[in-house]
Formats: sequence, C-alpha cells, structure tokens
Amino acid sequence: MSEEVQRYGGGGGGVGALSLDLLGQVLDRVREPRDRKACRLVSRAFARAEAAHRRALRVLRREPLARLLRTFPALERLDLSACASLDDASLAAALAGADLAGIRRVCLARANGVGWRGLDALVTACPKLEVVDLSHCVGAGDREVAAVAAATGLRELSLEKCLGVTDMGLAKVVVGCPKLEKLSLKWCREISDIGIDLLSKKCPELRSLDISYLKVGNESLRSISSLEKLEELAMVCCSCIDDDGLELLSKGSNSLQSVDVSRSDHVTTQGLASLIDGHNFLQKLNAADCLHEMGQRFLTNLAKLKETLTVLRLDGLEVSASVLQAIGEGCNNLVEISLSKCNGVTDEGISSLVARCSHLRVIDLTCCHLLTDNALDSIAENCKMVECLRLESCSSISEKGVEQIAICCPNLKEIDLTDCRVNDAALQHLAKCSELLILKLGLCSSISDKGLAFISSNCGKLIELDLYRCTSVTDDALAALANGCKKIKMLNLCYCNKITDSGLGHLGSLEELTNLELRCLVRITGIGISSVAIGCKNLIELDLKRCYSIDDAGLWALARYALNLRQVNFLQGFSYPLESSKEE
Amino acid sequence: MEGGLRRISETSFKALPSMSCNSTRNNDPDQQGGRFNSMDQSCFSRPDQSFPAFSPLFGVQSSSLYLPDEKIGNQFEPNSSLNNPAVDWDPQTMLTNLSFLEQKIKQVKDIVQSMSSRESQVAGGCSEVQAKQQLVTADLTCIIIQLISTAGSLLPSMKNPLLSSNPAVRHLSNTLGSPMGFGFSCNQQPSTNNEATIPEITKTPDYEELMNSLNTTTPDESDEPMKCQNPCGGEGSEPIPMEDHDVKESDDGGEGENLPPGSYVVLQLDKEEILAPHTHFCLICGKGFKRDANLRMHMRGHGDEYKTPAALAKPSKDSSSEPAPVTRYSCPYVGCKRNKEHKKFQPLKTILCVKNHYKRSHCDKSYTCSRCNTKKFSVIADLKTHEKHCGRDKWLCSCGTTFSRKDKLFGHVALFQGHTPALPMDDVKVTGALDQPQDSEAMNAVGSIGYNFPGSSSDDIPNLDMKMADDARYFSSLSFDPCFGGLDDFTRPGFDISENPFSFMPS
Repeated sequence: MSEEVQRYGGGGGGVGALSLDLLGQVLDRVREPRDRKACRLVSRAFARAEAAHRRALRVLRREPLARLLRTFPALERLDLSACASLDDASLAAALAGADLAGIRRVCLARANGVGWRGLDALVTACPKLEVVDLSHCVGAGDREVAAVAAATGLRELSLEKCLGVTDMGLAKVVVGCPKLEKLSLKWCREISDIGIDLLSKKCPELRSLDISYLKVGNESLRSISSLEKLEELAMVCCSCIDDDGLELLSKGSNSLQSVDVSRSDHVTTQGLASLIDGHNFLQKLNAADCLHEMGQRFLTNLAKLKETLTVLRLDGLEVSASVLQAIGEGCNNLVEISLSKCNGVTDEGISSLVARCSHLRVIDLTCCHLLTDNALDSIAENCKMVECLRLESCSSISEKGVEQIAICCPNLKEIDLTDCRVNDAALQHLAKCSELLILKLGLCSSISDKGLAFISSNCGKLIELDLYRCTSVTDDALAALANGCKKIKMLNLCYCNKITDSGLGHLGSLEELTNLELRCLVRITGIGISSVAIGCKNLIELDLKRCYSIDDAGLWALARYALNLRQVNFLQGFSYPLESSKEE
Repeated sequence: MEGGLRRISETSFKALPSMSCNSTRNNDPDQQGGRFNSMDQSCFSRPDQSFPAFSPLFGVQSSSLYLPDEKIGNQFEPNSSLNNPAVDWDPQTMLTNLSFLEQKIKQVKDIVQSMSSRESQVAGGCSEVQAKQQLVTADLTCIIIQLISTAGSLLPSMKNPLLSSNPAVRHLSNTLGSPMGFGFSCNQQPSTNNEATIPEITKTPDYEELMNSLNTTTPDESDEPMKCQNPCGGEGSEPIPMEDHDVKESDDGGEGENLPPGSYVVLQLDKEEILAPHTHFCLICGKGFKRDANLRMHMRGHGDEYKTPAALAKPSKDSSSEPAPVTRYSCPYVGCKRNKEHKKFQPLKTILCVKNHYKRSHCDKSYTCSRCNTKKFSVIADLKTHEKHCGRDKWLCSCGTTFSRKDKLFGHVALFQGHTPALPMDDVKVTGALDQPQDSEAMNAVGSIGYNFPGSSSDDIPNLDMKMADDARYFSSLSFDPCFGGLDDFTRPGFDISENPFSFMPS
C-alpha cells in the first residue's frame, strides 16, 4: 500500500484530487503505523486527510502533545501510557484550548505523574469520555478516581493496581458513572465488601468485573449476584472467597459467561458445581491452581455446559484418564484446555480427551511429565485446528512427536518446547509451520545454528523466540534470524554465551525488536550494544545483567539512540556482582 | 410511693398486699435494734481497743446518730401522704443536729491534728497511724450521715428540685468506683495520710443506701440488717449498670414478639419512678431499688412467701419452678404507641426498656456532645457511645451528613440518588470545638474541689454544714444522688423533672 501511495502521491496531483473523506477511508485501511507515516510524509493531501480523520493517537513525548491534540480534531482514542514524564501541568496545558469533544477513550496506564488535577482537566476537556484506563498508576488514590468519576458517560474503567483507591474512591465512581459496563479493580487492595455492595447497587449495567487480588469475601459475591447483566467475573487469588460465596453467586441471574477463580485457595469443586447449577451458559471457566481433587458432582455439572463451554483451565488438579475422558465427552466444544501441572495426565488420558474435542485450539500441557510422543500423535490426529501447544518440561517427547504435530497442524502459531530436549531435527519439522509466531526453545541445549537456520528460512512471521540457555547457538544463527525473521519483537538470548558483538551487529537489522534479553553474554561489549541501539529503534526493554564486558560506550549509545527504551537491567561492573539496578 | 405506681392487671393477677401495709411495720422494735447494732459493727469494726480514750465518744456518737434518724422517721411517717413536706421541718431538730455535728467535727479535728504532729516527728508507728485513720474515717462517716440526714430533712423545704436530677450527680456516681464499705476500703488501701482516705469515703455509695433507709417510710427500713451485715458491698451489691448498652438495642424493640393482648400483665410506672436512678424494680408494685438485696427485703412486704430464708437469700440461677407471670410495661406518656391506651399498643419488655424509651422519646435531649456541640442525647449512655466515635473517622456525605461508620455512610449513599461520599480533603473540615470544657466536666471540677473540704484544711470544717445548706452542688460532689432518688417522693410535688431539669446548668 505504501509503495502505491508513494507512486501516485509523489507528484501530488493524483492523490490531491481525491476528497479528504476518500483519503481518510484509504488511511483507515492502512494497518501499519509505519505505512501511514510514509503516506503522510510523501503527500500533503494525505497529511491533511490524516489530520482530519485520524482517530487514534499514541504520544511518546509530552512536548508535542499540545500541538498534536490541535492537529487532530477528530481523535477518539488517546494513548498517553507511553508518554514520558507526563505530569499534571503539562497535561492540563496541552488540553487547554484543544477541541477534544470527540475523544472517547483515554489510556493513562503507568502515567504515574498524572494526579487528580490533570485528570480533572482531562475529564472536563473530554465530555464524551467513555473508556479510561488508569491501570498501574500505583500512586493513584481516591482523589484521582474521584476526578475520573466526573465523567458521567463512562462505560469502562480500569483501576488495576491503583493502590491508593479505597471504598470511598469506588463509591465516587459508582455514583458518578452509573452507566459503567466494565470495571477492573484488580489489586485495589483497600476495597472491601462495603464498596462492592455499593457498586452492585449503583451500576446495574455492569457486564464485566474484575475483583482479583482483593480482600473481599463472600458478602461481595452476594452483592454481585444482584448484577443482572454481569457476564464476566474475575476473582483471581481472592482467598477470602470460598464455596459458600460461589453458592451465593449462583443465586443471581443466569447471565455469567466467564468466571475466573484461579488461585482462590478456598474454592473447591463443590463450589464450582453449585456455580454451574446457577449459571448454565458459562463459556469460560478458569479454575487454575485452586482445585486439588476432582469431585464427581463437578464433573457431572460440567457436562451440563456441553453446548457452551469453550475454555476450561484446571491447572494443578489431580486428574486421571477417566476424568479426562469424562471431560472430553461432556464438553465437546472445548476450544481451550489447560492441564498445566496436573498430576496423572497420561497419553491414554489425552487421547480420550482429544478424541471428542476436535475443536481444540489451545492445549496447555506444561509439566505433564508422563506424556510421550503418543500423546502428540493423538493430538495431531484429532485436533487439526491446534494453534497453541505448550509442552514445557514434557521431557519424554522427541522429534517424532513434533513431526506429527508439524505435519497435521498447519495453523500452529505458538509452541513451547522449553526443557523438552528436542534437537535440530525437530526444528526442521517445525519449520513446516509457516504461521508460527511464538517459539520457545529454552534449555534445549542440543539446538544449534543448523536447526535455527530451518526456522529462519521458513517462519518469517515469528515475533517471539526464546533461546534461553541454548548454549550451542552462535552468531551465525543470529545472522540467519536477522535475515529471515524480520518481524521478531521479543528475543531471549540469555546465557547463549557464544554470541559476540558480530552477532549483535546482525540483530541491529531487526527494527521491530522491542524486548531483548542478553543476560550473561560475557563476550559482548559496547560495540555490539551500540549496533543494537542504533538499529533496533523500537527497543523498549533490554536486559544486560551480568554482561560484564559492556562499557560506558554501550550505555552512551543506548542513551543516544534507543529513544523508546523504557527499562534496562544491567550490572555496573564486577564490584557489585549480585546487585542489579534498574534504569528507566 | 403507693401513688407512684398504678398496677393494671389485665389477667387474673393475684392481688398482693399493697405497700401501705409495710409502713405499719416500720416501728418494729426488734428490727430497729438489730439495725443499730449491726450498724455499729459496720462502722466501728476495727481495733479501737487501742484507743480507749475515744470509746466514750463512740457511745455518744452512736446514740446521737439515732436521734435524727428517729426524728426523720417520725417526720416522714405523716409525710407519706406527700402533701406538704415543708411543714415537717423542725428547726429545733436541726439545731440539735448541727450542734452535735459541731462537736463531732471538733473531735475529729483533734485526732487529725495529733496525727499530723506525730507524723512530722516520727515516721514509724504505721499501725497506729492506720488505726487512727480508721477512727477518723469512721467518725467522718458518722458526720456525713448526720449531715445528710439533716440536710435531707431540710431538702423539701429548700424546694430545690434540681438535686435529684442533676446530671453531674449521676455522672459522678457512675464514674466513681465500685461500692466499697467505709472501714473495709480503708483497710484495703493503706494510705499514709488522711487526705488519701477521704476521697474513698466520699465515694462509697453505701451512704446512699443508708440514707435511703433513713429517709424513706417504705419497707426500706427492713433492708437495714441486710445491708449492714454486708457493708462493703462486695458481693451483696450489684455493680450499678447505668450504661445499659445491651438493653439499648432492644429498648424500643419488642416488635419481634407478638404476645396476644391479655396474655401478660401490664405495668405502668410514673415518670418520676422511671427517671429515678434505680435498677432493681419490684415486679409487683414497680418500686425501684439500687440493690437487689434491698429489693428482696422490700418483697417481704408483699406477702409471707417472700419472707422465707430461701426468698431472702441471693437468688440462684435455677429459681422457683413456678413461672413468674409474663409482665410487660406501658409508657406513662399518653398518646405514645407504648402507652397502653394506644390503639396499636406495643408493650415494652423490661423496665430498662421503659427507662430508655421514656428518656429518648419524651424527655429533653439534655446531654450535648462536648466535641461536636451538635449531637444531643437524653440517655447518657447514648452520649458516651457517641463520644467514643465523635470527631474520629468522620465519614461525610456530599449532602453534609456525617457518619461514624463507613458502612452507615455507604448505606446512606446507596439509598439516596446523587449522594456521594465526600473525600476528607474535599470540604472544609467539620471539627467541633474539642477543647471547650464540657458542662458536666465543669461540674465535676466543682465536685473535686468539694472533695477536699473535710481533710485538706481543718479550718474549713466548721463551714461545712453551711456549704451543704447553701450550695446544693456540694451534694453532687459527694455522689449522694441515690439518696435523693430515694427522696423523690418528697421532692416530687415541688417540680417536674421532665420539663427542664437542667435549667440551672450553663448551656
């Protein structure tokens, strides 16, 4: 698309003849930000169209914010989460005088500099605000939330990890924003049953609620059960909630579609069974790391969800082949199942499970040590749609099993073979999966440049590659990757200690790279880091712990060229071998 | 007292001897004698043999103690008609009493002086000093009793209705320690000087009992043996539950129970009886007492079945197998839903319910919180409950209403559309004048000054009775309120408590 635009827009005549509306339509269909930027740069007409039609804006610096807001009057989505050193004064100044009547979504995640004054100005300037994300604003408290509560039309609000928010702030929000449909209170540890009760009374429109990590108890679930439209409820790690609470929850209207009780220690299969009694249209049930023993009542109730249930997570549960068979027979429509760290998962169990669940796309078998190639064979045979397969620590599988998967599951997008002792032959088979996006090969020390060469040549869409402690990997592998997998965003090379500066020089051509981990690469120096800093413009996180050979020149280059860098983990030298410091 | 209570039997409630018959037994010589002896024991049960020089004094003292007593008894007997108390006051009696007091005070003064001079010389002789202290204590006790009886006889004529309803008095009596006997308390708490012992004396509410008995015509007199056998009150007297927090909840309650009309006896107490600071009430006539023991003595007047040793003994848990008739109470306020005349009459369960209901619903809210200066209460327990939370953790609504508890605020916010909690810094802080001294505290301060007069300076002593006569507040310092509660019958014609009992207090 960009090339086409360049060809016609270069002269300015052809494109300029089109109306701004049409150009805007064209721009809307250009997906990649870089391509849109190219359009803007080559044609004034496109620049004008963009100015008139641009809906979303992500700002990285606070200085141009005011100008940008005036340039794009049609903005609907404003992302300030990456806006460095944004504070109340600069935000208020930027908002003053700008026409922001169209803005509906604002993301202020991690914008720790913004306090209630800035939010006050924002809410006043954006009368149509519907979605606000304050997640990880750890300093935000009741006053900040109260400022947001002035946005009466608010539909979605995330207060995740706003540590200072108490019941008072929540009360402000629920009274001020009665149309709230989605609310995340994750990690707001000060909120209690009283606040949740008021929320349930004041926000009847609520569809999605996240109360994970809160210290609320069963009383909250009693209140929540009165929310008639609630579809999604997450209560991860709510240790004060138990089966009685789930029983209370089941008394409500039969609206819940997704429930997450993972890591809520006091929940058992009894509670979940009674929950299913009350909510028999459940689609997603996440009971990871909270169940220990399977109950017969739960198993029979799961069968009641035959038509609807698509996601089932039972991590850490003690299962047997018969239990897996019952799940397979009861829940034919499963799309995702997680049996991570489940004791008793055998080849027999997996084959009886997948025999009836042909729609499975995501299968998590992390740490199911008993599995062998037979399990992979049955998965490959029955689940042609599999996109994600997590097999970490399934140490009995071999390249034969991987071959079956690679042949039968062309849609495979993610596979985790960490600690599976696979070799280059397995990679050769995997290279058939050209859709592969995520490949994790940590601790597979037998993998060499040869295997990675297969991947590089065929898996051009790869965005994440984990080569943690693949100690046989050398600079040649990086050269092949830089050549074949241009889209890589996340790359882990920790402890691949054969890598030198020349390898990093190849990495410099990975422009998309955002996260790079180079821990304990003792051979790399400032020269290699410099080439990464210069080449990888989008680098956000960099791990340099125990890279003892890096000198000031490398850090200087990072400071000078890696403008998007937000986090570097590094060690300042041999004098502090155990201490790491963080630079932001 | 008989007029103070009307008993309504809606069922076939057994008619019991009316109270008037009790007054006929007042002059039983045996009882009187027994009482005096035991009182002697209670006052002088200490090693006074080591002070033979003083023993004649005791004789004088004890005999003269009876003098006013008998007089009071005499003067009150006709008084039970409650007609004109002022007429009963005899200046001649008063004069006799005062001269006796003068004499008595002089004696005490001498002892104290001798002690102070000796103390400056020798540090030792501890036991001797202690013995003397006890002596002084006993003497002072007698003086005080005498004083009160004298003043009590004077009281109706003073026409000062405020004494019995003085909140400071009640407050004081609440705050002061548990009932302790005079001699006993001194023995228990060895102190090296007189001043330390004297507050002990003034605290002991047993005077009140004594005075109760001295000043009333009702069968209280028959309480005396009982009380004197157990003067220190240890187990014989209940702690006075003035704060009935527990009862408070159920005060206006009774909604839960649906007794059919006629299945219970309805009692209606007069407001004066309700407002008197009693906690033990006769189930038959409703008269109030401060102690259960006194009540049991009173019960003897209601029939022979109460005279048995078993009935007089402390009630054990597994009391009589015969179930007491279900009794419910009516509020004397006509028109109140709790009044038996009301169409939808809802009876009150206990007398404590009656008391709290009457105070809350039909009395002025005279107790003002000293912190916020806005909240007012008619039951002092309510004030104390409020003060516990007042000014602390204010939960404020946007409408300006404050709450002591967060859940209450949230309940309010949930109820009213548009109301929202106000964050602490949102609005100007509503702080009460915390440092402003409270009225009752001021009263207490006066009281504490009053404490000192007997011992701190012997020069003051001659003025003592003057003060007592002049300034009614000194009564409050001595926490004699039950005494005046007992006098209610006589003071009643002079005033109406419910109207404005605290008009004298600076507001």
